[in-house]
Amino acid sequence: MNVVVCVKQIPDPADPGALDPNTKTLKRDVKLILDESDSYGVEMALQLVDTAGGGEVTLVSMAPNSEVGGLRTALAMGAAKAVLVSDEALAGSDALGTSKVLAKAIERAGEADLIITATESSDGYTGTVPEQIAELMGLPSITFAKSIAVEGGTVKVQRQTEAGYDDVEAPTPAVVSVTAGVVEPRYPSFKGIMAAKSKPVDEVTVADLGIDASQVGWAGAGQEILEIAAAEEREAGTIVEDDGEGFQKIVDYLAELKVI
Amino acid sequence: MIKWSDEQEMVRQAVRDFIDTEIRPHREELEFGDLPPYDLLRKMLRTFGMDAMARDNFAKRIERERVAEAGTGEDDTEKSSGGGGARDANSVAFSMIPIIELCRVCPGMVTAMGVSMGLTASAIMSKGTVEQKERWALDLLTMDKIGAWAITEPDSGSDAFGSMKATAKRDGDEYVLNGSKTFITNGPHADTIVFICKLDEGNPPAERTVLQFVLDSGMEGLEQPKAFRKMGIHSSPTGMLFLDDVRVGRDRLLGGSEEAFKGTGGRKASKATFSMERTGVAAMALGIVDRCLELSVRYAKEREQFGQPIGGFQLIQLKLAKMEVARMNLQNLVFRHIEMAAAGEAIDFAEASAAKLYSAQTATEVALEAVQLFGGNGYMAEYEVEQLARDAKVLQIYAGTDEIQISQIARSMLGE
Repeated sequence: MNVVVCVKQIPDPADPGALDPNTKTLKRDVKLILDESDSYGVEMALQLVDTAGGGEVTLVSMAPNSEVGGLRTALAMGAAKAVLVSDEALAGSDALGTSKVLAKAIERAGEADLIITATESSDGYTGTVPEQIAELMGLPSITFAKSIAVEGGTVKVQRQTEAGYDDVEAPTPAVVSVTAGVVEPRYPSFKGIMAAKSKPVDEVTVADLGIDASQVGWAGAGQEILEIAAAEEREAGTIVEDDGEGFQKIVDYLAELKVI
Repeated sequence: MIKWSDEQEMVRQAVRDFIDTEIRPHREELEFGDLPPYDLLRKMLRTFGMDAMARDNFAKRIERERVAEAGTGEDDTEKSSGGGGARDANSVAFSMIPIIELCRVCPGMVTAMGVSMGLTASAIMSKGTVEQKERWALDLLTMDKIGAWAITEPDSGSDAFGSMKATAKRDGDEYVLNGSKTFITNGPHADTIVFICKLDEGNPPAERTVLQFVLDSGMEGLEQPKAFRKMGIHSSPTGMLFLDDVRVGRDRLLGGSEEAFKGTGGRKASKATFSMERTGVAAMALGIVDRCLELSVRYAKEREQFGQPIGGFQLIQLKLAKMEVARMNLQNLVFRHIEMAAAGEAIDFAEASAAKLYSAQTATEVALEAVQLFGGNGYMAEYEVEQLARDAKVLQIYAGTDEIQISQIARSMLGE
């Protein structure tokens, strides 16, 4: 079974750098790492291929400056190869522009039984790309998967809901978005890290994918960022002094919130 | 080598993530309780495929040795175990990185791991027969079993061979072993023990041949009492070993014959192990210093006194600057070890001693300065620098005290 996983390479959230005041977007000229939300999809894909007893996992990513730092991490985990779209024309792409590029890159990656994505990236958070890819590729889409199984030509997904989960099925190939935290992403082995260096990364431009540059980047973006503002600072918490009855104060506080 | 390569950085990050997730949450039980470190170490080895790599390397080496034995009648054990032969820089770095990263949290775990996978396995791999390697060393290299290397005795520390009282006496085809060993890392938990003693042929102790035997836990007459309470490295269980008429066959005599140990051979075999032990201390010191510096810089920025962060005071800046100089020097030492191994150059005994002396003193000084920088908080167990300062001190004592290193460096210069 062949699985394609869309992965994003993002600035390290521990050291995210700065926003560009002109474009109102995150500066991406720093070293990028694998978005943690995507590590769950990579793990899920590797497990599915293992279970199937054959096939491979291919990564698809769009990043500036031929960045492969995050891809190498996923390759070290066990993915076989990657398609990287890197092109100056992509700067400023909105969610739809990104989806158009990824959809073409997925086609280039070869025949896939399943396309896995995260539910949203940790830096952009639009949460719309997976469904847009499915629509552009004419494939069924299932969101918020907590588990995935492929049997014959059917993908069976437990789709997370507020109350629990729904059992959902779709014919393959399909696009499935995976909820963060549902599997434990493996650590890359030392051998995997060494092997990652020589795994193929097919770097392509927008033109290579047959996309008109005017459809992507700033030129093709249908949305505009008008203003950015700092998040409100969190209010200071309530300090409860323990005079021997501290537990009662906590119980009262929780009762007031109607939590208990 | 001027910096870690991309792959080495990836390994470093992966190991650090693992340690932060899997080991740091157990620091309390490891350092202030009695949780043995072995299961966590095994998990680390399995996670990164280090056990599988050890198995592969072992199989290749054994195959090579069998071919050499069959072809020329010679054993190339010595060549492949010592400094001879260039090693892949990455494989050397990959063995150093877990040492450095573990020492940022629990230096004792490195001691436990190093003595088992390093000293004990290496003693068997360098002096043992192929059969002995297969019987004992592989399980130590994968940490499926725990090893201890027993040389120190209650009355023989720095003068390890001169004052050694442990004996082996021939009895027919067997030997009878007796003696007490102390400060034995992994002693209470060891499955496999390399026991170093003198062959008592009725001759004066100074003239006796030093032999090494491999013992299994549970052998009749072998006692492994519970661990000592120590100043630091609590995550490394340390204890005594008592041997009371332990009978062993020749199959347990390392090398299978007394010949290899005749004259000064036995002493040389143990000294080769000392040299390896000492080079590992630079990596340990780097981990301790790196963590102390990281914590100190953070604290200097956050802790406010007299209306400003204490990092604004020059006396604090001096401490931080000296710690950074120490970190750079230690890192360069580690890089040099990697370079030398990659070039197939052996580190001589005097250089290993010099590196060990500097590393041990530096780690202790930096960790104590970190405690000072943290003030009252630094003296509290809640702040990690307290533990690291206690842990660092052992580096000046084990694997040869500072004083022994100094005399060995001086003697090599004076041509003694």
